[in-house]
Parts: sequence; structure tokens; C-alpha cells
Amino acid sequence: MTTDMNNSLYELPTESPRFVGQQVRRIEDPALVSGSVEFIDNVTLPGMLHAAILRCPHPHARIVSIDTTAARQLPGVVAVLTGEDVKRWCNPVVTAPEGWGAYCLAVDKARFVGEPVMAIAATDRYIAEDACELVEVEYEVLPAVPDAPAAIAADSPLLFENQNSNVMLQRVYDWGEVEPLFERADHIVRETFRWNRVGANPMETFGCISQWNLADNSLTCRGSYQTPSFMVLGRSASLNLPSNKVRIIAHPHGGSFGGKGGPRGTDISALLSRKAGGRPVKYIEDRAEYLLAGGGQSWDRYYEAALAVMADGTVTGLKVKLLDDQGAGAEGYGTISVAKPLAAFTGPYRIQAAQYDLTVVATNRAPTFAYRGYGPPPHNLVLETLMDSAARELGIDSAEIRRRNYIQPEQFPYTIPSGNEYDSGNYPEVLARALQMADYEALRAQQQTARDEGRYLGIGVVSTVEPGVFDWNAYRTAGVQGVGVPEGARVNFDMLGQVTVTVGFALEGQGQYTVAAQVVADYFGLEMDAVRVVCASSDAAPPHFGPGGSRVGVALTGAVLGACHKIAEKFRRVGAVLLQCEPDDLELAGGAVRMRERPEAQLGLADLAGTMLARSDLLPPDMDPHPGATHVWTPPGRTEPDEQGRCKSYLTAANATHVVLVEVDPDTGVTEILKYVIVDDCGTRLNPANVEGQVQGGVAQGVGAALLEQYVYTEDGQPLVSTFADYLMPTLHEVPITQKGAVVTPSPFTPLGAKGCGEGSIHITPAAVICAINDALQPLGVKVRETPASPSRIWNLIREAGT
Amino acid sequence: MKPAPFDYYAPDTLSDVVALLQRLENDDIDAKVLAGGQSLLPMLSLRVARPEALVDLRKLADLNYIREEGDTLAIGAMTTKSAVEDSPLVQRRQPLLHAATRLVGHRQIRNRGSFGGSFTQADPASEYPAAAIALDMELKVVGPDGERRVAAQDFFITYMTTDLDTTEVLTEIRVPALPAGTGWSFQEIARRHGDFAMAGVAVTLRVENGVCRAPRIVAFGVGATALRLPEAEQVVDGKALDSALFQEAGHAGAAALEEPSSDVHASADYRRQLVAVLVARGLAEAVARSAA
Repeated sequence: MTTDMNNSLYELPTESPRFVGQQVRRIEDPALVSGSVEFIDNVTLPGMLHAAILRCPHPHARIVSIDTTAARQLPGVVAVLTGEDVKRWCNPVVTAPEGWGAYCLAVDKARFVGEPVMAIAATDRYIAEDACELVEVEYEVLPAVPDAPAAIAADSPLLFENQNSNVMLQRVYDWGEVEPLFERADHIVRETFRWNRVGANPMETFGCISQWNLADNSLTCRGSYQTPSFMVLGRSASLNLPSNKVRIIAHPHGGSFGGKGGPRGTDISALLSRKAGGRPVKYIEDRAEYLLAGGGQSWDRYYEAALAVMADGTVTGLKVKLLDDQGAGAEGYGTISVAKPLAAFTGPYRIQAAQYDLTVVATNRAPTFAYRGYGPPPHNLVLETLMDSAARELGIDSAEIRRRNYIQPEQFPYTIPSGNEYDSGNYPEVLARALQMADYEALRAQQQTARDEGRYLGIGVVSTVEPGVFDWNAYRTAGVQGVGVPEGARVNFDMLGQVTVTVGFALEGQGQYTVAAQVVADYFGLEMDAVRVVCASSDAAPPHFGPGGSRVGVALTGAVLGACHKIAEKFRRVGAVLLQCEPDDLELAGGAVRMRERPEAQLGLADLAGTMLARSDLLPPDMDPHPGATHVWTPPGRTEPDEQGRCKSYLTAANATHVVLVEVDPDTGVTEILKYVIVDDCGTRLNPANVEGQVQGGVAQGVGAALLEQYVYTEDGQPLVSTFADYLMPTLHEVPITQKGAVVTPSPFTPLGAKGCGEGSIHITPAAVICAINDALQPLGVKVRETPASPSRIWNLIREAGT
Repeated sequence: MKPAPFDYYAPDTLSDVVALLQRLENDDIDAKVLAGGQSLLPMLSLRVARPEALVDLRKLADLNYIREEGDTLAIGAMTTKSAVEDSPLVQRRQPLLHAATRLVGHRQIRNRGSFGGSFTQADPASEYPAAAIALDMELKVVGPDGERRVAAQDFFITYMTTDLDTTEVLTEIRVPALPAGTGWSFQEIARRHGDFAMAGVAVTLRVENGVCRAPRIVAFGVGATALRLPEAEQVVDGKALDSALFQEAGHAGAAALEEPSSDVHASADYRRQLVAVLVARGLAEAVARSAA
């Protein structure tokens, strides 16, 4: 059975939209770019204090004593917070799976370098940091668990003693008869991989101002929050406050990518405010704190994987064994990132059966958090490298083996072995377009010529399916309680016919406010200028989740269309009173409500809204005179996971093929990207500029993961990354400007046919670049199996091979 | 990431700066001179450096110049790196210095960073010390006892340490003209554009009748200071030009390095390899650029 949706509710009442589908200018950008929005660090409240946090220098240590005497005496210090306060007032943070969380300040022991140990609020940040230096903490250093293999060793120290093990989650998923397929396979291709830790690094780190109202025992937190309603629930649980006494005011922020973190910083500043008599306390996480122990670390993995392949290149089975390092607990919901690959486990291919052998462990590295893509990029690197290995073993071209294995256009909706349902697509067409744009034949000829000259060019051709519009059901298997993910919008006309759309999430830069304005303007035949989009605080906003899982473009479109539909119904009812006809005699067209049979009999929307708000006396008493409505959209047709974790989780399946040309210098190991072509299909492109921005941004982060970025830890568990001189974000010079093309296969399941498109590019760029490098290195007989493919790593491979 | 407390001074004249530095020294106060701040300010914010006093040179406008003095280019220490980069004089007379400048950080950093600051900072991975040794620059230093001049070769003592006394100020860098027909190369390999080099080399040489003369090869990013590689120079000096010889020179230079530094970006072995490759490439490029 396929997914149903009430399409009539989610359509535009026009055949020729003026804005939807057009590359209109983004309404939010001028304010974001000029910095005239209220970024949190620009905000000062009366009586505000500034927090600094003292952090543990050891990977694993018992806190014997904390002496804050000297710090308290420093002029300007107002409040001091330690684990003793926290133990009295708070709960450990809620985690998935349960029981792997810590308090916001270390209680009794600290589990990672950078874990907050105590905090100070002072009249300015300088004094707060000076005061932290005066605190004396006595530690008893404990043996550390430096990495995932150490975590499962028999005599490993324990991170969480009450768990009796460092293993958070261990299970084997079997989807279909995978063993017989491997027995019958003509070829079995095996690979191992080490994906080193990378993560989100938005321009702005986390920041907040918390204020505890001691009179009514309520809490208000302003800050750079990505998911405000989620923060409300978390703070309510950790701070023992009724959920309706926690108010989150999300400010526009300089990106997030899932790495904003924030629970600890929010709780610490909130408790400091409580201790400081209710004065507001600002905490701005600095970059060193962010890199050491913020929300910016993710995906620390060891893979063993195998592919069953028939002689004709048909891929029949996939086995993936993953050892995943979550760091010191599950507070960052990093466990979700091991479950998300279920939504597109076998990629765009007709692989019949698969197995996922999963072990998720805790170590004394920093906790891992969400990062754009949320888990699939390493998985896709594994799958796509196996596809290339199979092609090589069978002597088939790397593009051809993919073409032979694609799910075909007529097979949609298509259910993959791990249970998710892909909505639509035309994978062969996307590949064909990409190969054509890249002039693939010529690239292969160029590669051959270069090889003859002793140069090492490589071509990566990889394909991906991007699950879009997430649903929590996908993550029940990682211990997350399945709840709906609503996205609401409130659309209000004022009495002059101007429109305000209220949402629950703040500006981050993706351009969703523009999409909302495009939809409203087209729905009512208005100019986009007539529509303003604002973010309300958590207590005033419609039900919402916010950006995450490539969902807001689709979800917000549904919410706005639903609200517009309700308003149109009201306008017709009011119009029927004023025009003395039946509502069904009226239609919405060209910025007015008019009679279907007599179009000249019409009322402008401003007249209708003005009448409703200013002259409701003209309307029957039981008629709602509010020219506005709220609608909450949720993805239709989602299902609960079965015993093997199989469910309809993500609503949409976008698809892309990347073609990359690189040159590797064998003497230095330096990789240069010479050409980068992307063709993607994310259904209806609501605003092509937004899509292009998402694609290019994902490439930047993917190139970073493939070539540059790594949170390096020593064998003792000490982090070596504390600045951007150590953690190398790609710059304009390292990121290729890609040539982009599009195929459009609308989703049958979503409003207007759009698909989630925020993560596809980071999902597959690392694989594309690494596959290209391995293609280049093939004559040298070596293969990159660890990220990033840094120059020294590649040179070492070549040297060790002795070629 | 806020600096520890410090006293701040911005004297109006060079003599005031020197007098102040001497007074602070006499009072046993740890003082740091602030020029463009591109290295010092992050170190202050990270509390890696915590001087008790900062002496800012920003008011010394008369240390901002690039001028010809006979065959020599004289560059004031407070001239920005961008000004050096954009100077037609530098581009025409000292193309190696121009090329090195373009590799120093990013344009935004060069807009703020002073020319002299890279010399006094003496980061072994930075470009200017290598260029200074390759080009035989001379540094003019002013202190309580007046002015003295130091050859670049003698200025850089070890990691982040120079011949400069705590009461002295670097005021001018003098770049002598290269002999006519000199070929040059400035090469580095960094993880990203604008990063400190994992390794780099500066090369100058002349070619006479197909023979290499007066080669000077300086490596950076691989030791406590930028350093000449006499073992590499000897391989090519007075020899006929030959790419196999360039590679041999590279290997000789790399082999002679005492333990190169090792960090998250590059191991000592890898740095040695880069020196071997860059010396060979640098020699080839310098030969191609030479007038002969």
C-alpha cells in the first residue's frame, strides 16, 4: 500500500504561479548578510552577567575537591556553580538510548576533556575567565577509554559504571536472506574503512542568555537555537520545571548544521541566573570551547563491509559491520546517526537483502552530536567504494555498474530491504545527464593520456539517495521514543490586507522564509512584499520542530498551504455574505474572491480582511471574523518500525549523481579537484537558488570531510584540535565551484511535489572525492581507506606499497 | 577566550617606545610589542601569551614605507604585508619577496599584519624568514644604545626566538638587489591555501654557460628556524644543469635535515619528503627563470 495524501488541501489555486519554482531573491538575506538581525551576542539585557566555564583537562577523572574561595573574592564575580548545586537541582540530560547522559556540570567525575566542571557568572566575560583561573580543582585521573576498539576490550574502564559496559547498543539487523545471496554470489568484494571524527562548524558558535524568574519560577532562554520546542522539553526535564514554564526565544543565527548543541550551556547559564537572584546570564561558547567539546563532533567509525555480486555485475547483497564511537555518552543524540542509514541503506540500487551489524560504544572522547546528513556520509562512502571495487574486479566501468543496478523509474514507490519507501525518481536519467555534462568519455581519455605521461588522474562517479523529511520513527531503533514531527505555520491577514506568517524556527540562512512567502504570495495573488515571515517564541509559536532532516522546505510548504486553504474558506464564507450568494459560488483568483459565473462580482482580499476585523457586525454572529489560520503539517503515511527496524520513515527520496575529476601528485600526496559535476533530482524545485545553495554548501562540507577535517585525538584520549589551525575547514580555495544540472521527478507524496534537499550533497561528496582518488591511485596499487585523504596519508600509502 | 589583564601603551615616537621598553624592563615588567597583532592577539586571547604590558606601535607612522636606496629596497617594519604585495617596486625588483608575500595567510591577514611582525615573530613555518635568508636581507634594529644592523642569517636564533633584545624594536628591513640574471623560486605545500606551510623552500641561483652558480637553497617549516641547505647547494653548485641532479640535491637537503617537526598535519618523514620534492622543483623553476 502506498502513501496517501489529501492533495486538494496542498495545492496552489493557480496553474501559473509567479513565484513558486522561480529563482526569486531571498527575503531574509539582506538582514542576515548586513548583520542587522539580532544575533545573540549583540543582545544586552539590563543587569546582564557573563558566564565562563571551567573545563576538565583530563579524558577521565574523578573530582576530589573544588575550591572556589579565591574566585568568589574576585571583584565582579556574582555567582559560582558547581556539581554540588547541579546534583541538588537537576537531572542528567535525557538520552537515547536512556541512561547514557551526564549532568550539565560534571558530578563526581568527568568523562572527556572539555567537560564543564564549574561555572562562574561575573559582570563581564574577562572577569569570569580570570575567576575560573583562581579555582582549584583536585582530580584523581582515571584510566581512559581513548577509542572505540578500546571501549570493547575485555578489561576496559567503564564510562558509566551503572551500565556495566561501554556498549550502548548492539544488534544485528537482517533484512532478507542475505547469507544465501552471499553463498550464491560469483564475487564477494570486501573493504574496511576508518572514518575519522568530523563535524559541524557554523560561523557562529552556540550562545544564549538565560533568565530565571524567581517570582514565578519560570525560565526564559534567548539564543541561537535550531530546534526550540525540543529545547523546551529537554530543559523541562533537566531543570525540573513544568514545560509551560520554559520559554525559548530563538534568535537568528549564523548557521547550525546540527552542531549548535546548547543543552549544557543553557542549563548552566540558567542555573547561574537562579543563583544570581534572577539576573540574566549570557553564555557565548567560544571557538576553542566549540572545537574541544561543543556540538561539533560527529561520526567516528570503523567499518567492515562486503558486497555480493553476480558475474554480470548485478549486486545482490550488502553486509555492513559498524563499530561506532559516540564519545562520552549519548547526550548529543549522535546515536541517531547510526540509525539514519536505514532510510537509504542500499542507496539507489536494487540490492535484494542486507545486513547491518551494529555496535555503538561510549569512549572518553567528546560526545557526538548531529551533523548535517546525520550519519549516511560514511555509510555511502562504504557502499560506493564497494561498488567501485566490484566494477574493478569485474572489469566493468564504474558508471556502468551503477546503471545496471539502479531501481528503475517504473518501480516506484519502491521499498528497500531496510524498510523505507522511496517515493519517485529517475536514476538512469540523472546519471546520463551527469555523464553528458562531464563529457565522461573525454574524461576517461584524458585520464589515459595523463597516465601515459606518468600523471595520476582519477574519476569518481557516484550516486546517492537522500532521504528527506524525517520522522522520529526512523530512530526508535536507536532508542528514541517515536513521536510526530509537526511543523506549523500561522498565516494572518491584517485589516489592510498585509500578511504575516508566524513560524517556530529562527533564521539560519537556508531561505525557508522566502519559500513561505513565495507560497503565500502565489496562493492569494499577492506580491511577495506583502508577506512577512516572523519567528515566535516557543510559547507563542504554532507547534513546530524546526530545521532538521531535510524537512522544513517540504513541511513548511504543507503548513502554509494548509493555513492558506483555511483562510480561503473563511474568505469565501464572508464573501458569500457580502455578495449574497453561497460560498461554493465563489472562487479565489487574482488576489480577490469572485463569483465563478460572474467574475466581475468580486471582493479584494484587503476588503474581506478589513470587513472581518473592522466591521464584524456585518457578519452573522457565528461566523469567525479572523482572517487568519494555523495549520500543522506532518508527513503522511509513516509507519512504526517492526522488529528489524523496518518502517516508512523518510517521506521523500531525492537522488543525485556526482562526477569528479581529481589529480593526485604521487610525490607529495596532494589531491587537486579539477572538475566537479552534479546532477540532482529533488522533485519540484520551489526556489532553485535555495536548492543550488544547499548543493554547493554540502559539497564544501563533503570536501572538508574527504580531504581536510579531522578531530585528532592522541592514543591517550587527549584532543589535539583546539583552533582552526588544527581543524581545517575548507575555504573558497579548496571547494570546487560545481557545474550543476537538474532532473525533476516530483514527489507524489508532498505538497507541490518537492523533496528534501538539504543533505544529499554532503551525503555523497566524500564518497565521490575518495572514489576519484582511488581511481587515480589504482596504477600504484594502493587505496585510501581512511578519511581524510590528507597528503601525508596518501604519500604514506604510496611509500608503504613501495611503488 | 579573553586575554588576561595587561597594561596598554601606545607611544607617539620611536624614542618613546624604546624608553618605555627600557623602563618596563627595569621594573621587571614583562612587555610585548604589538604591531599588526595577527599572531599576538590570538595568543593573548588563548592566554598562551600573557604579558603584563603591551606596547603598541600603531602611532609610529614613519615606519611605514617602501623606498629605493641605491640598489637596496628599504621597507619600514610597520608597512603592511598588503602594501608590500601591491608595491610595483617590490614586484619589479624583488619578485621572490612578492611571491612569498602572496603566500602569507590570506589577504585580510595581510591587510592588518605588519611586514616586520613576521620577522620578530620568527615562526619557523612562516615565509618571510626564509625569503630573508635567501635574499640576504639586513634588519635595522633600534634600542637604548642606538641603531644596529643584523644579517637575516644571524637574526633568527631558534623557534620563535630572534636576536632582538626585549628593549629593542625592529624598524626597517633592507633587501639588497639580486645580481642580474638571478633565477628564483619560492615553493611551499600547505594543507590549505593561506595556511602555514608543512614545508617550503626558497631558491636563488645564476646560470652561466649552462652551469649553476651561487645556488642558495633555504627550507622552512621543517626545523626550529628557516635554514639554508648547504648539502643541497653543493650538489648543484658549479654543475651542469640536469633534472636528475636537482632530485639528488633534494635528497641531499632532505637527508641533512635534523629531525623535522611533526604535528597533526605532517610527520617528520613526510616533511623530509616534501623538502626533497620542493628543492628539486624549486631548482628547476629557478633555472627556468634565470636570464641565461
